[in-house]
Amino acid sequence: MLQVEAVDKSFGDFMAVNRANLTVGKGELVAVIGPNGAGKTTLFNLITGQLKPDRGRITFKEEDISGLPPYHICKKGVARSFQIVNIFPRLTVFENVQVAVLSQQKRSSNLFRPAQNLAVEETNSILEDVALSDKIMDIAGSLSHGDQKILEIAIALGNEPELLVLDEPTAGMSPEETFATMGLIKKLASTRGLTILFCEHDMEVVFSFAQSIMVMHQGRTLIQGKPEEVRRNKEVQEAYLGD
Amino acid sequence: MFRGIIDLKSLWLIGAIFIILLILPPIIPRFYTYILTLIFVTALLAMSLNLCVGYGGMFQFHHGVFYGVGAYTVALMLTKTSLPVWVGFIAGPIVAAAVGLLIGWFCVRLTRLYFGMLQISLGSLIWAIAFRWYTLTGGDDGIHGIPMPSLLSSLNSSYYFILIILVICLIVLYLIVKSPFGRTLQAIRDNPERCEAVGVNVRRHQLITIVIATFFAGIAGVLFVVLEHSVFPDLMFWVLSLEAFIMCLLGGWFTFAGPVLGAAIMISLRTFVGIYTEYWTLILGIVLILLIFFLPEGVMGYFLEKFKPRAKEVVERSSELNVAG
Amino acid sequence: MQLGFIEEDGFQMEYVLTFGPSELACQLLVGLSRSMLLFIVTAGLSLVLGVLRVPNIAHGSLYMIGAFTAFTVSTVVGGAGGFWLSLIVAPLAVALVGLVAERILFCHLYEREHLMLLLFTFALMLILGDLVKIIWGAEYRSVTTASLLQGSFMIFGLPFPRYNLFLLIMGPLVAVALWLFVSKTKIGRISRAAAVDREMVGVLGINVSWVFATAFVIGCLLAGLGGALIAPTVSITLGMDHTIIIEAFLIVTIGGLGNMWGALIGSLIFGITHSFGVMFWPQFAIVFPYVAVVIVLLLRPRGMLKSVW
Repeated sequence: MLQVEAVDKSFGDFMAVNRANLTVGKGELVAVIGPNGAGKTTLFNLITGQLKPDRGRITFKEEDISGLPPYHICKKGVARSFQIVNIFPRLTVFENVQVAVLSQQKRSSNLFRPAQNLAVEETNSILEDVALSDKIMDIAGSLSHGDQKILEIAIALGNEPELLVLDEPTAGMSPEETFATMGLIKKLASTRGLTILFCEHDMEVVFSFAQSIMVMHQGRTLIQGKPEEVRRNKEVQEAYLGD
Repeated sequence: MFRGIIDLKSLWLIGAIFIILLILPPIIPRFYTYILTLIFVTALLAMSLNLCVGYGGMFQFHHGVFYGVGAYTVALMLTKTSLPVWVGFIAGPIVAAAVGLLIGWFCVRLTRLYFGMLQISLGSLIWAIAFRWYTLTGGDDGIHGIPMPSLLSSLNSSYYFILIILVICLIVLYLIVKSPFGRTLQAIRDNPERCEAVGVNVRRHQLITIVIATFFAGIAGVLFVVLEHSVFPDLMFWVLSLEAFIMCLLGGWFTFAGPVLGAAIMISLRTFVGIYTEYWTLILGIVLILLIFFLPEGVMGYFLEKFKPRAKEVVERSSELNVAG
Repeated sequence: MQLGFIEEDGFQMEYVLTFGPSELACQLLVGLSRSMLLFIVTAGLSLVLGVLRVPNIAHGSLYMIGAFTAFTVSTVVGGAGGFWLSLIVAPLAVALVGLVAERILFCHLYEREHLMLLLFTFALMLILGDLVKIIWGAEYRSVTTASLLQGSFMIFGLPFPRYNLFLLIMGPLVAVALWLFVSKTKIGRISRAAAVDREMVGVLGINVSWVFATAFVIGCLLAGLGGALIAPTVSITLGMDHTIIIEAFLIVTIGGLGNMWGALIGSLIFGITHSFGVMFWPQFAIVFPYVAVVIVLLLRPRGMLKSVW
């Protein structure tokens, strides 16, 4: 479904992403792992358009999306969450998700209908799925960190994506919260028919949830394969243990 | 149309205020009628600005230019052409919005302080032209004695005219704020990057906001001419723009009615302190500093904080955020 | 050669109406001298912006106070001595006002949002403006410079005001002094570091509060010096703060917010375009620098040099 082919991105002299390759098949749960500074977040930013690649091609459903602006890529069915909590802090939880749903329904520029009565069902159903229904009227900025990370995923769901890109969805969570969140993500993937690309530093989580793992090291793709293949790979072991 | 976006209690309150304003002119001195009218005009300017500032998070630093453009447009059409009056009245806001589109088109390419500074330089350009083009705009003297139709020639009739227009504009602005467009705009204010990622064309959205806001500023400009029968380049000078900005902050820029209150406070201070001392700006400055130290969310924000639990959270949260970046 | 007379932002000068290469060169020098004056004022603003992160709208008022103080000193003392003394007393007086304002008000507000700081400094501008009105009244005032600096001399076969030459010397002097302060003194180096990374300086155990106060006072000193220097060339009046502050903000923006050398470049752009504007189309001379600012911001949205913001 998503193909990343030989993509480069440099900031000044620093090659953040260097000939990275990645394949995500429909319905898969794919993880990108790598040490800090390996270029995971940069790669995600390239896929969802926050950054433009210097070279290489990114295709989504056989369509070239490299270098398109974020809002354009989003309309094609790719939604994402961010590593650092990235929500609308002064809106309510409901409004946070509703903004995304309205955008999906191409109603963002509607000027004269009260927003209150629009997209209510869709928004509520998403909030139910992520178990935030009891907090819909809370101001997003006042939620706990864990809830904000969940809300972040809920916002992404508002766009009814086919591919969901999650940048460290469990960053800053306790081990129990992490497993609960990954379970939630897996459940969402099956009930909503989502394809999921995520990155995560907790290896235990990655190896128990991902169906395919891509390993990045200093901007390069070392390998992509099934968890067992990756576990056995020499280069990967060196990258993690060597330095 | 209003179902679910306004509660009955506020509606009663607003209705009561409106009725009081309707019966006031014959029973209060002429001077107070004039001050009230001036407050209406300024309130519309501040409200239109707050669409950009409070709801859109944009540093619309030179909003006064669009107010001036609206005023100058109608003034020029009434003095230099023989077109019917209403054509001028309609042209004012349209020209203001067109200038808003042009200036906004450049400004939305930049962010925050840079956005504001670019707008100040573009706006100052227009101010400089109005200030110097004696043959067209009367230069620093401006244009005075602009003829008004007999229907609007008395102060009381212009009071009612301006009040009605203001109410209509406020209703329209309220609908916009509560619409999906307005909600998305608030989301952009909170987090433009995230908004792009949920599929919103942020720049286009901001540009449309600027056009709407400048349209209403243009209306305010036309109303100013209806009240004062004159225009002068100070309408476009940056001090007036900053004053309007301060009305928003003063009244409470995260609330809908805050700017109206800010305008009322500002105009009343100027007028009534001005009666006792020529140093009214000194008093205004002191009041502003006291406000910054004691009511950082503005007067309206303070009252909402007192009376509404939900708004309290908004206010608390917003004071933690570095909104200015 | 034909001479025209124009009053521009209070600047009263004779300007050449027909122009050849020597007139152009002469006008460039006029522009440069105006740039130097702008630089002295904007360097102060830029320092405060960079180190304290305060967009100080009241900077213009401090400049105005400098001009009025220069007027008082030079009339009370009189003669050449009065003028030279005013160049020293005015900046010091303004620095004192700045120190008081910083210690009483500013120092409580550094952590607030920029918009609130903007509102606060605007309030301060209103207060200072009225204080000036109370102390000096609303009349126009003027300062006579030392006789050494009066009149003009010939350059490229054209008369060039001596006072402008004096400004051309003062500008670089101030620039060098600032450079020495920022790179050679300890507090200067700390304030430069504070401009780049505020937390870091705090972590190092340096009393940031006094670094801020020093930077602010130096900023005020420069505003006062600017005011004293412009005093002999204009009629000193209320409202001169409004004109200068908007120009100063545009200059520091196109230069790169908080970058002192950016302020120099911005001042040069502003002063020179203005002076050529006066030459080619005096009626709309004030439009030219604004056009230059728009062009710079569109080409380099974050200013010419690196901004610390």
